[in-house]
Amino acid sequence: MRRESGQWLPWVLLGVALLFLLLIEAGTFGPLESLLGQIIAPVARGVASILDTFGDLGQTTQDIRELQEQVTTLQSANDTLIQENFRLREFKAENEELRRILSFAQENPTYSYIGADVVERGCGTYPCGTLVGQDTNPYLQYLIINTGSRQGVAVGMPVVTSGAALIGRVARVSPNLAYIQLINDPQSQIAAMLQETRVTGMLVGTMEGGLNMIDILPDEEVAGGETVITSAAGGLLPRGLILGQVESISYLESELFQRALIRPAIDFKRLEIVLVITDFNRANLQELEEE
Amino acid sequence: MSLYFGIPILLVAAVLQSVWVEGIQILGGRPDLALLLTVTWAIIRGANEGAVWGFVGGIFCDLLSGGAFGMWTLALTAVGFLAGQPWVHALGPTIIRLALMSALGTLFGHGMLLGTMAVLGYSINLGRAVQTVAGPAALLNFLLSPFAFTFLVWFHKRTQPRRGGFAQ
Repeated sequence: MRRESGQWLPWVLLGVALLFLLLIEAGTFGPLESLLGQIIAPVARGVASILDTFGDLGQTTQDIRELQEQVTTLQSANDTLIQENFRLREFKAENEELRRILSFAQENPTYSYIGADVVERGCGTYPCGTLVGQDTNPYLQYLIINTGSRQGVAVGMPVVTSGAALIGRVARVSPNLAYIQLINDPQSQIAAMLQETRVTGMLVGTMEGGLNMIDILPDEEVAGGETVITSAAGGLLPRGLILGQVESISYLESELFQRALIRPAIDFKRLEIVLVITDFNRANLQELEEE
Repeated sequence: MSLYFGIPILLVAAVLQSVWVEGIQILGGRPDLALLLTVTWAIIRGANEGAVWGFVGGIFCDLLSGGAFGMWTLALTAVGFLAGQPWVHALGPTIIRLALMSALGTLFGHGMLLGTMAVLGYSINLGRAVQTVAGPAALLNFLLSPFAFTFLVWFHKRTQPRRGGFAQ
């Protein structure tokens, strides 16, 4: 008898689950989600730190620790050099672009010009987040970090590693956690360009967690090994953040655009600490719309 | 009700899924801990408790996902409800139907997840999803089901079993 009276329970639970989805779609689920998020954040942090501790127990000898320290130091130095190298190459490319613009201006003396940057990278505070976990949904490429709205993190903020490589954007925040949509998520779309040739396109993620650069015009020449950076078109991201390198390029006659396979600049599985860019000088798109 | 220990077990399972299991690859895929525990509990205790465990486990999984909240809740509640249906008893002895339902439940759960994602506008490649994610997950859950069963039967014996449970 008691069993029969409980037959409605699964249907009610299914109804509530559907209601969650409807509330999310309507954008009114935020407060409840934040409340629930406060329960899971300390547990996730605790389990992550326990797993870290167990991971460290395997490396008990002093020699291993010393070697690890040396490797860390060398990796850090390597990262700094790579970053410096990228920056210098960016300056070189920018310099060449400015020379081309100047040349164009000299060749067309009757025109009037006002120089402008698409988006300038501004100074901001960078909350540092430690990686807590990955997405439980195997069809999405997200990371969860232990900084949230209480630390000033908001949806849309770019997230980078120490080498100025973009790993993704904040897609969702709770008071203590932030969910980062990685650049290789199938739903991710980033305005990108090639550092040397300044060819532009869209960087999109694939189902397998890879990266493709699409919408490259068919007459553009793209060389393998070229660095892909953010172009800042749209004003959502700072310009010049590293995304990856061109591995190969394909073009079918039936398609309107070329497509490049991109090797990511970072190993998403090895991320530990990331930086959230909370502010940079964005292009004021509202002003453009008003005009 | 079994939620006194169900909530902490499912919470730890979801957190382990996020901080540990998602970072490793076994046989080309990853098991789904919360889904496996839901199916196992549904086989042991029936559709009602299976649905409740799926609901709770789904909420924890949703809290550790950047996707729309409710996708896991809907999928796991449905899986728990399905795995606890009376017709499942016709599949054979407990351990056989548990193994079968772990695999079928995983495929059904991933199907629900993918279906919900498609409805919500996510881009889905069904063939690749089954080949690279759902298929390996079903195989791994099939292989891990005896361990989950042994673990949860221990808890089952310490709570009041309901009529119509796995002992029938």
